[in-house]
This record gives sequence, C-alpha cells and structure tokens, in this order.
Amino acid sequence: MQGSKAKKIAVTAAAMLAAVTLAACSSSSSSSSSSTKTTQVKLKTAYNNTGKTNQTATKNGTLKVAEPNDSPFEGISDPVLQDNQEDLDVFSPSGGQPGASDALFNTDKNYKILKGGLANLKLDRKAKTATITLRKNAKWSNGMPVTAKDIEYPYEVIANPQTTSQQYSSDFNAIEGMAAYHSGKAKTISGFSYPDGQSGRVAVIHFSRMAPSMQYAGNTFLWSTVEPYEYIKNVPISKLASSEQVRKKPIFTGPYKLDKVVEGESTSWSPNKYYWGKKPQIKHIVINVVSSSNIDKAIQSKKYDFIIPGGVMHGTDYKELKNTKGYQIVGQPALSYGYFGFNVGHYDTKAQKNVMDKNSKMANVKLRQAMMYALNLDQLNKKFGNGVTWRANTLIPPIFSKYYDKSAKGYPLNIKKANRLLDEAGYKKKGKWRVQPNGKKLTIYFGAMQGTSTQEAEYQDYLQQWHKIGLHVVFATGKPMEMNSFYDTVQKPKQSKIDVYDAAWGLSSEPTPTGLYGTTATYNMGHFVSKENTKLMNEMNGSKSWNTAYRVKIFKQWQQYMNKQAAYAPDNFSYNWEPVNKRVKGFDVSPANNEFWSNLSLTSSNMK
Amino acid sequence: MWKVILRRVLIMIPEIILLSILVFLLAKMMPGDPFTGSINPRAGTAEIHHLMRINGLYDPWYQQYWNWIVHLFHGNLGQSYQYHESVANLIGQRAENTLWLSLFTMVLTYLIALPMGMYAGRHEGKLPDTIIRIYTYVTYCIPFFVILVVGLWIFGYVLNWFPTTGSISATASGFSGTILSRFYHMLLPGLLGALFSTVNIVQYLRSEVIDAKRSDYVKTARAKGVPEKAIYRHHIFRNSLLPIAAFGGYSITGLLNGSIFTESIFSYPGMGLLFVNSISYRDYTVITALVLLFGILNLLGTLLSDIILGIVDPRIRIK
Repeated sequence: MQGSKAKKIAVTAAAMLAAVTLAACSSSSSSSSSSTKTTQVKLKTAYNNTGKTNQTATKNGTLKVAEPNDSPFEGISDPVLQDNQEDLDVFSPSGGQPGASDALFNTDKNYKILKGGLANLKLDRKAKTATITLRKNAKWSNGMPVTAKDIEYPYEVIANPQTTSQQYSSDFNAIEGMAAYHSGKAKTISGFSYPDGQSGRVAVIHFSRMAPSMQYAGNTFLWSTVEPYEYIKNVPISKLASSEQVRKKPIFTGPYKLDKVVEGESTSWSPNKYYWGKKPQIKHIVINVVSSSNIDKAIQSKKYDFIIPGGVMHGTDYKELKNTKGYQIVGQPALSYGYFGFNVGHYDTKAQKNVMDKNSKMANVKLRQAMMYALNLDQLNKKFGNGVTWRANTLIPPIFSKYYDKSAKGYPLNIKKANRLLDEAGYKKKGKWRVQPNGKKLTIYFGAMQGTSTQEAEYQDYLQQWHKIGLHVVFATGKPMEMNSFYDTVQKPKQSKIDVYDAAWGLSSEPTPTGLYGTTATYNMGHFVSKENTKLMNEMNGSKSWNTAYRVKIFKQWQQYMNKQAAYAPDNFSYNWEPVNKRVKGFDVSPANNEFWSNLSLTSSNMK
Repeated sequence: MWKVILRRVLIMIPEIILLSILVFLLAKMMPGDPFTGSINPRAGTAEIHHLMRINGLYDPWYQQYWNWIVHLFHGNLGQSYQYHESVANLIGQRAENTLWLSLFTMVLTYLIALPMGMYAGRHEGKLPDTIIRIYTYVTYCIPFFVILVVGLWIFGYVLNWFPTTGSISATASGFSGTILSRFYHMLLPGLLGALFSTVNIVQYLRSEVIDAKRSDYVKTARAKGVPEKAIYRHHIFRNSLLPIAAFGGYSITGLLNGSIFTESIFSYPGMGLLFVNSISYRDYTVITALVLLFGILNLLGTLLSDIILGIVDPRIRIK
C-alpha cells in the first residue's frame, strides 16, 4: 500500500536501451553468484511451449497483461519524454522488444546493435560519423513513411532549451553543433546531414569523437528511437508531453498500434498493418495496472497471461507464485544492482569534479573492506530473496554476460578477516567499540532509504553485523530516510551526515559506468576518485577498445579494482522475472528476441 | 441569513490567502525537489540546474509565490512536474473518477445506514438493535484496507463477480457501454465502502431516535392517537436527522477527497492517490493546487453545514 512508492527511478529511454538511472526502490533484491555457494535459482529467458498454436484463439483472442504498480501510470507514450518504468511498460507493444518503443536497431543478446531492424547503423571511425539508414518499408502506424528527419527529431526534442525531456547526456556534446543548439545559440543541430534529403532514408551524424560504446543499444552518444516529426511538428516542444499526439493518439513503428488508453489504468492494442517486421499474431493486447498488493492473487486466479517483462516483482512474490498451476516463471538477470557507497570526499562545485579527502572518516580502504566482510549478504539473500536476488560479487551485473566478471569474489562473510583488517589499520577496541587510529571516538552513520519491511530487516542485520566487529554504526537520522531526504543528503556537494549508504542503480543496456563513478559524475555520490579508476574508465571507450576482447579485459580489470578499493561495493543482483500462463507460446525475453510481441501466439482460448 | 452567509464568505478570503501562503511554504520546505532522484545519471548537474532554472525553482520563495498567485488568477494552476500535464486537466480527470465513486458510496451508505439507525432506535435493547450495534462496531473495528483486500480477493478473484482493477474496462465502448462498465467497476469498492462505514450514521440516528421517542411531542402525538408508523416517519425521523444533516455539508465537499486505500488496491485513479504521489514526487504545482482545493472545500463544507442546519432546524436559524 505504498501509494507513494519512492520516486521511481526512471529507467527510461529507449528505454531499456537508454540511460543509467537511480533505482530508488533499491535493494529488495540482493544476490550473489560469486565463487561461493549461490542461492540463486536458475531461470530460463524463454518459456518453451511445445503446444500447437490455436489459430482461432490467436486470431480472435485477447492477450491480458498485468503491470504491477501502486499508482496510475503517467501516460507519456514517447520514449524521448518518458521518465519512468510504468509508461515504458504500458506502451510496450509499440516496439519489437518490451520497453523498446520505436527502437531503431535490433540487438543481439549482449545488446550489440545488429542489422535488420527499423534501421541499420554504420560507424565510420575515420570520418567520425554514424550513418543510420532506414529500411525501405519503414512506416508509422498511420501509414506515413519513417524519414531521416524522424531520426534527427529526438535529438531536437531532448536538447531543446524548453524541453521536458530528461535525457540529455553530456556525451551528446560530441555531436557537432549539439551544444550550441542545447544552449539556444543555434536553431538547428549542425552535425546532422541527409544525403537524400530530410524525407529520405539516411541520416548521418557527425561526431567530434567516436567511442566503442556506440556499437551497443542504450549508449550515451546515440539516441536509439525515432520521433514522428510530421505528426508532431506543430506542437511546441515544451508542450509535447501534454499533447494529444503523445497521450491520446500516439503513432508508433512497432508491431501493435494503440487502440485506446484509459488514463492511468490501461492500454489496448491491435496489430499495426504497416509494421515492417514479422506480422503480429494475436488480435488484441490489453495491459492493465494492477496494485502490487494483489498482483499475486491476480495471477493465481488466472486473470492475466503474464506480467509485463520489466514490471517490478519481489522475492516475496516469487515465493507466492513459483508453483502456481498453469504458469511458468521466466526471467533473466536485471539491468540493475544494489550497492554500498562510502563517503570519501566531496564535489568541488567550482572545478566541477569530485575530490577525495584523505582525512575523511571512511578514507581507509581497510576500514571499508572490513565493513563489507562483516556483512552476511549470502544469508540475507537466502532468507529474503527466495532465489531471485542474490549477493552481488561485482559492480557489473550478469546480464552483461561478456563483461560481467564471474570470477570476482566480492565480499562474502568473513568476520575474522574483517577484525584482522581493522586491527591492522589501527582501529583498536576501547571498551565496547573500536576507536579511530588517532584514538578518537568512531561513530559511522549509515544512510538507507525507507522500504519494505524486508528491506528494513536487512538494514537491521547490517547494523548488527557491523556491531559484531566492534564498529559503532548507527542510522544517519536514527532511522531509514524518506527517499527524497536521502538523495537530498547524499547529493550535496559536501556532506558529513552519511558515511556509508545502501542504494541501487538501474542501468542502460550499455554498461560503461563513467556516468556513475567518473571524476566529473554528479552521481559519484561517495566522491571516489583515483588515477587508476579514471584510466580504466577512459580505456573502456578508448580507441583500443574497439577490439571487444580488449574492452572485456578492461571491464574485468575495472571490476577487480573497484572490489579491492571497496569505495563502492556490490550488494545484490536480482532477476527480472515474470510468470507466464502456459497457453502462451513464443514467450522469450532475451534481448536477442527482436520480435517479442510478434512471436507470441495462444494455444488455447482459455487460460491454463 | 443571507447577510450571515455573505459575511462568512468574505471571512474566507483572508483565510484562503493565509492558507495558500502556508501551503506554498510548507511544500517548498520539504527536502528534495521535483527532480531529486528522477534524473537519469547520464544527465549531469548542468542538466539538473537547467531544468530547475527554466522551472523557476531557484527564484526566491516570494517571487515563486507571486508567480504562482498571478497564474492562479489567470486560471492557470501550472504544469505537473511528474505528469508533464496541466494541473487543471490532471485534477479534472481524477476528480471525475473520485466524485462518481464517492457519490455512489455516499448514497449507498445512507441507504443502508438510515433504515438501520431508525430500526435500531425503534427497537432499542431488543435483538435487532443488538445485532445492528454489533454489526456497526465490528465493521468499524476492522481496518478499511483489510476489508478491501479481503473483499477484492473473495468477490473479485475467487468468485469472479466483479472487475478487480481500474475504473472502466479497457475495451468498453459506446455511451451505454462506457456508463455500464464504469458502474460495474464502482460496484465492489462502493459496496465495501458503504457496508463498512455506517457506524457514525447508525449510532447518531439511533441515539437521536431513542431521545426523540421519549420526548413530550411524541408522547402528545401518541396520546392524540397518531399511528405509530406515522409518528416515526413524520415526527421522530425528521428531528433525528439533525446531527446527520450537520455532517451533510462536509460529506458533500468531502466527496472529492478520495480514498488512498480504495484507489491503490483497486488501481482506481483518483484524488487520494494523486495527492499522496504528488507529495512523494515533490510535484509542487499539484500539491499546492490540491491542498488549496481541499482547504477551500473544507471552508465551504462548514458553511454549507451551517446553512443546512439553518434550513432543517428553524430554531437555530440565524437572523
């Protein structure tokens, strides 16, 4: 019953394909798949229904989909303007993949851009250009052709000085003329050219620098959706989000077109006859918001075919639903992770960069490591995660199967080692608690956000574990903080109220972590900066990293390095999972399934 | 009477101004702002500052307040930061949903509670009275959200009698289809709301009836040979309604408040959830508009209650 679930963190953008975002409703999930024993269940990304498609049921049937959420969705259909997961979810059938409305590119299982989607991408490192070529039969759901201008218009909307979009990435400044347009100095973006005209099929983007991350969907240099320029050009950009074209009668390029939206409650869809890809099979799709307080009951009483891939489901729901008759659980590791951050510096507002303070309370690496070894994350996740969250061993989640360092140990429970580290670092016991090496009292303030009762139980366990190794750790304000207060505190350029905190990140489908841990990153809220860190992160998108094997190596080095420094330490990973009714055929949530909605069919007219 | 009403309305003006300042300041004093935690990290501080600046959130409070008031007088409540839609539209949509559901619930409540109160009062101390009293107390004791969850589970999910989510079916079309679907969706939350909120009305009415029963005018009527039924209908019932009428004003203006529980459990987009969400998102424009609206409604409710009382009870009519 939290009508007021924390501000949802916006995972947006071409949604699953876009930016990194704050996951406020952090760590209900936790996890670990380190070399130690794992508590993780094994879920498949697809439900392999061997039944035969029932043509009548499919051609006349309605697929019922649930979006678990405690408040009405906002109703913005345009991926450029969306800033929350719910909108992404309820407008999902407008794209080939869930959460990828109007996506330009097809991807493989590592989110690498492939040929064969709405458009193809060609990167020219020498000329520093990205050439995007639309397929010949690319059309909007009202029959209008998709044009080169439609590729460019998202950039105009995102960078317009009066925009409501929250997607402007600092890497966009690498597009020629983008900064000038963004600041209002130029009327157009000079870095775009159209070899066969604006109504043609080709757009060329000119960059001042190129990065290997550009090969992946969700990168911060290229925007990966189209906007129907002709359809919305008369709406001022500042009014776009409230316009009828975006809210009531949007058009899309995906397999389904929107029939109706009931504000805040539901959307209904039917096949888009202009779709360029595989012909959708099911006649209707209806997506309903269902309160998270009764989502389990709704599934158990067979009201829905499945929960929308990407919808928020917890470990407690998994326990309730895993054995539901007629349903199969499908899932893949989420594009998110929980982490612990240590406050080791401040943000220099003049120089606009993070600075480490050698004398800060948490500056000692052994202290940080000891605190991590003291936590019993495996046990906690076993108890509360029900197998769908597990202890994380690194800061890159396993969904990035290439980049994820499976061998990283992370921080399994080791009280002995924790005590030894503290002794070595000079944190001696004086009475009940340890004191600082200089003999002064040591009180560490732990910042955490209010959450479910499970989360709060986990916080209590953290405190107990820290007390076990003699560290006097207390809640920063005496109790978990309201989400706004929490971020208000940790995002201050300099603060001493919180020394260590527990939070989570939602990620884009391109794993470069510079936006979170870079020298200039404002989301580097613990202000950890080091030469080695900067070097590794630059290297991830340096020229050598066009070689994927090299890039993978650098990513793994970075993970090892971050684990050792423990300025940001992994807390938990989780599954993004959903129950699917066994009458559904073709359900596959892998990023490599670029025709998620079109591949679906029904094997019976009633749910099983 | 009219003079009194006019005077009361005039007093409301400074009250509303004071309320608006308080509301505005309190909203701004909450930690965080509409962009806390919602900006995605690829956009750095510069973008946050940019958004704060174009939305005037860095201006001093009196300037922000002044802008707000000026817009208000132009009938412009601003844009919601969360929904990116005009606040008036947003409140309009939600108010409509809430109004229908509340009205429906209120009518049902009175339909259920008035006969029960009368009956219990008339048969004071007997079995039906005891049953009604137990019923009202039991329903009063169970937390409302428990009722909703259990009710939804039994009637929505197990028995499948009612829709379980939203205010209207996604596939409803046509005028009558829309109306019927809306009604069908209101039925379960409305019934649950009504069945479990009768306690006030029943108890007030019952005790008033018991009082009235023993009063002189009833004895006189009885002595004159007026049939018992008529005594109850004409003499007792009307007089016993007084305290309930006093609530009337509030009930009417309270129709727009909405219920967070009902709305979140039934995924019914209404005013209650809008209010709670606007607070957690720091959606200032929506918070201020709603608090002001609720404030004004409350003031009007008091006034309305007084007027209703004056109409029903000539003794307290103000000259």
